[in-house]
Amino acid sequence: MAGKPIPSDVAIGPGPAIGAAILPPAMRRGILGRVFWPLIEERRTLTGIMTFVGLGFLVAFVVIALTAPLISPYDPLAINSSELLSAPSGSHLMGTDHLGRDVLSRVFWGARTSLLIMAIGVLVALVVGVPIGLTSGYLGGLVDRVLVLVMDSIYSFPGLLLAMALAAILGRGVVNIGIAITVIYVPLYFRVVRNHVVAVKQELFVEAARALGARPGSVIVRYITFNVISSIPVIFSISAADAILTAAGLSFIGLGIDPPIPDWGADLATAQQWLPNDIWWTSFFPGFMILLLTVGLSMLGEGINDIVNPLLRRTKA
Amino acid sequence: MARASPLLLYVITRALLAVPMLVILLTAVFVILRLIPGDPIQALFGGRGNPSVVAAARAQLGLDRPLIVQYFDYLGRVFTGNFGQSLTLYPGQSVMHWILLVFPATLELALYSMIVAAVVGILTGVVAGRYRGTPVDVTLRMYGIVIWVIPIFWLALMLQLTFAIGLRWLPPNGRLSPLTPVPTPRTGLYTIDSLLMGRYDIFIDAVRHLILPSLTLGLVLSGFFTRIVRVNMMQTLQSDFVEAARARGIRERSVIYRHAFKNALIPVVTVIGLQFAALLGGAILTETTFSLNGVGQLLVRAIIAGDYTMVQGIIVFYAILVIFVSLAVDIANAFIDPRIKY
Repeated sequence: MAGKPIPSDVAIGPGPAIGAAILPPAMRRGILGRVFWPLIEERRTLTGIMTFVGLGFLVAFVVIALTAPLISPYDPLAINSSELLSAPSGSHLMGTDHLGRDVLSRVFWGARTSLLIMAIGVLVALVVGVPIGLTSGYLGGLVDRVLVLVMDSIYSFPGLLLAMALAAILGRGVVNIGIAITVIYVPLYFRVVRNHVVAVKQELFVEAARALGARPGSVIVRYITFNVISSIPVIFSISAADAILTAAGLSFIGLGIDPPIPDWGADLATAQQWLPNDIWWTSFFPGFMILLLTVGLSMLGEGINDIVNPLLRRTKA
Repeated sequence: MARASPLLLYVITRALLAVPMLVILLTAVFVILRLIPGDPIQALFGGRGNPSVVAAARAQLGLDRPLIVQYFDYLGRVFTGNFGQSLTLYPGQSVMHWILLVFPATLELALYSMIVAAVVGILTGVVAGRYRGTPVDVTLRMYGIVIWVIPIFWLALMLQLTFAIGLRWLPPNGRLSPLTPVPTPRTGLYTIDSLLMGRYDIFIDAVRHLILPSLTLGLVLSGFFTRIVRVNMMQTLQSDFVEAARARGIRERSVIYRHAFKNALIPVVTVIGLQFAALLGGAILTETTFSLNGVGQLLVRAIIAGDYTMVQGIIVFYAILVIFVSLAVDIANAFIDPRIKY
């Protein structure tokens, strides 16, 4: 984990102008078509494979999280004093922890905690960052400059550190941690959307709408928002992977989720003290789950980015 | 008067710009710590504080005054280097003193991690860019993606498990073995202080303790270098001057390592700057896992102890560090890359 999404992937800086030539074939496909059609076209390339593998990972984890009560072989909280720290075996595929709880069940239920925190963190960032980015980019001027400066300074700061400070004040729990990590991603969504808007608002069709007397509100919503939406999936997957790492990091240092609740980060923190006794399974599996999920999300982001950017370049030409 | 060089002008402007950046970052820290719903003092006392004790702490910290007064008081203190006194962790002692006391541990970790990250990242990036589109490239590209999102504390635990607990090659945690004397502090970096003392045994012990933490943090950060260097190498290999070198009949090997390599390295300084925030965040987790007594661990202990002034002091310290490094990187870049226009 390293605290920050990779900015180079998000095409920060005025992106390639879009919109001018996109109209005829793309418009017929609608918003969803514009995002998914290239996916189908690219399915045999490395880009396409990465996107689909990543998407597969994400879907698998969502399914695990939703069906955790059904697929977990044991109660994740059930303490079993006769099977403390038993190695992985037929009855406990991932072994048991120091209280005899089934690691596999805790890993399944942990997916719930992780995905929930990630969803809260990313959605709040989206809801806050995107409108501010749209407005700031559209208005320009002093407001825009001040907002960019403020957001950039927050972005330059170590995300984990901000989240730690917020988590300390807000307290533990899924919702609080979700909100605490939001602060890292608001500047990211803001920056990407704002830069995109600045590029799009120079386009002729926006100029035309304004000349026809469209009010600023409807220009933003109708003409700009739909053009900017294509950049969201990429930042979503990058910020989601990072959100999961940050939340797990918070739990690992004891600021996230309280112990009895199954959580990958918190379980790893507990497992750490049993490591010197060669008990590897309690730490290996929860961490490995985090890795699978974050790798899936970044492959998805990587793939979508490759798809969206060439698409933008093609339509510009 | 001779015209001032544009480079010098740029350096001066950039340095002046660091001041408003610092004020903004400090303001953001203030806003986040104070204006968030929820009471910092109440939260830090874990909601269990005796009301009169909480009120006393509040008055002592000046938190009962209007926010705007608090804000300017806080800015004034920071700019005069007064971070206040620790509340609960080391009651009455200077926050600055404690931060500076443990900072060398963080600095040492950061330094060696950056070296690992740069070396591994540049090597993998250059090779991937050179063999673009081949299975080597695909593998290294995957390495760049996977290593970057690996949970740092998990990688730390797995390395400890393998090399410290399993193979017993290296010590699992700490900065020195229990029986090794701490070298006389000159820089605070054990690897340098021990050499200054001429004590090679301490040096070797310090290095052995640093290998796993630096490898953990360095490998995670190397993913970013891999990607940037790879892309840059690919672009450089397509540029006109490389084409020209090839046309002159220079061997491919020499084209790559003499001509392209140097140019592919230009963004490395920028990457170090971009990575700095990630480095600090990662250092917190690495320090926690390897029990290195650095600023990150101090912060974790301060948060858990509910030491409000210590937490604020450390965050402000990091803010100053971030601004300073971004300034240094921009200036270094201006000197390295003659193509940058000011």
